Amino acid sequence: MSSTTTRKFHKDRGLVTRMYFTMFMLGFLYAVFALFLYSAGTAMIFIAPIVGIMVAVQYFMSDRLILMSTGAKTVTAEQEPALHKMVKTLADRYEMPMPKIAVIDTAIPNAFATGRNPKNALVAVTTGIQQRLSERELSAVIGHELAHVANRDMRVLAIANFLVTLTSFLMTMLFWNMLFGGMGGRRNNSGGGVMMVYLVTIVVYFIGQLLVLALTRYREYGADHTGAEISGDPGALADALEKISGTVATIPDKDLRKLQTANAFLIIPAALKGEGSMNLFSTHPPLEERIKRLRELEQRMRYGLR
Amino acid sequence: MGFFDGSKSPKDDWSTMSTVIKAEAKLQALGEITPSRRAGVIFRNSDKNVFLNSIESELKSVLYVGDGATKTAFEIQDDNRGMRWVVLEDGNFNDLVSSVFTVGNAIGLNDGADNLLAAVFELYFTGTVEDNTYRSGLRTYWIYRYDRKAFYPFVPTGESEGERDRQTEARLGQDLRKYGLAIEKSLTEWMGLWGIPF
Repeated sequence: MSSTTTRKFHKDRGLVTRMYFTMFMLGFLYAVFALFLYSAGTAMIFIAPIVGIMVAVQYFMSDRLILMSTGAKTVTAEQEPALHKMVKTLADRYEMPMPKIAVIDTAIPNAFATGRNPKNALVAVTTGIQQRLSERELSAVIGHELAHVANRDMRVLAIANFLVTLTSFLMTMLFWNMLFGGMGGRRNNSGGGVMMVYLVTIVVYFIGQLLVLALTRYREYGADHTGAEISGDPGALADALEKISGTVATIPDKDLRKLQTANAFLIIPAALKGEGSMNLFSTHPPLEERIKRLRELEQRMRYGLR
Repeated sequence: MGFFDGSKSPKDDWSTMSTVIKAEAKLQALGEITPSRRAGVIFRNSDKNVFLNSIESELKSVLYVGDGATKTAFEIQDDNRGMRWVVLEDGNFNDLVSSVFTVGNAIGLNDGADNLLAAVFELYFTGTVEDNTYRSGLRTYWIYRYDRKAFYPFVPTGESEGERDRQTEARLGQDLRKYGLAIEKSLTEWMGLWGIPF
């Protein structure tokens, strides 16, 4: 995984360490799990290709999927000259090729980026965010999104999600397997053996979920940090987040009861919910914490401390 | 908050929740707000929690026994979204608030802090709303989220998820903050509760 190799950023060392540790733990977890499945004589490894294809489709087509699912329309330099110029300036600073730009016609202020690498990147903003933010703030938001692209966050999360999705498939299959006593013969496993594999799968699934959530969180802080370094103005993103979180359109459609069950029961892998993109307002991590960190960074940069 | 208090200290809940009493009194004096007699505490039931399993009798002793007991009437209801409610009824708003606090506190002290979602007060609003129409007796809910330790107004316009009057909520939120209610600052956290059973 290459992070911000194009430029000499001052990295948040603690954050980077935690991120790599989480990724290592995730890899380790699944290596041990694979070994366990192997020794338990499970022949279900054949699910891997199916899930692999699903994730690959999402991964390689994420920009088109996003355009389809959100009603975002790609815009040319003639249609949106100011936005185009802003993105161009930022892309130059990241030393990345010009990404595709899309606009979504909705009052809800939001922005996101997608694409497996800087060559295939797409950054989208809503008309709501364009109207509400100043040029400085919008530039910080787009800088944050481009940081996700530069840090290859979509790739990291696609890999992490592949493993989690695979485990959840396995979990479902084993469940039905136990209910109906093994689909189509391949068995000779005593009930207890399957039960054991099932329980371990559940444990692995939940630990995997937690690690992916942690990874998403670190990626989000990382993009905040990179974006701030690129602009030299951490306060701009903090202002933007504060401004947007205080506007009427951000009052959510969501029921409070869903929030609780989602926390307890993470059915859908966190990053898959975002349809393979990095959304400006993911609930992980909470906005306040991000704003707090940006304000601290602002202080440190102001007084020349790094 | 001291080191040993922990974030789930009931004292915190009371210092924020009780701001509703002052805000309600001021708005009632202005003729803008009339409290209904009803409020509720919503929680996720758990078979493993002994207290929650016998919540009806537990709450009877908490709310009815003792000199300071508010004797607020209550009943347990399940909503159609898998959650359980303690619905309380009391003509005295201060007693109602105090009983709501007591219920949440009792659940929290009996290993149910993570099960608590919110406390909800029902109040009627009279006045001019954002689109300049005069509304008399508009039903509003003031939701207190236990995890956020803050209130926000909720004005549903229907039973389905997402149907709410955001303009009125935002305006009401500003007013309520002005009158001392501990309002949730981040509007993205103003999650609705559709199909409140009272």
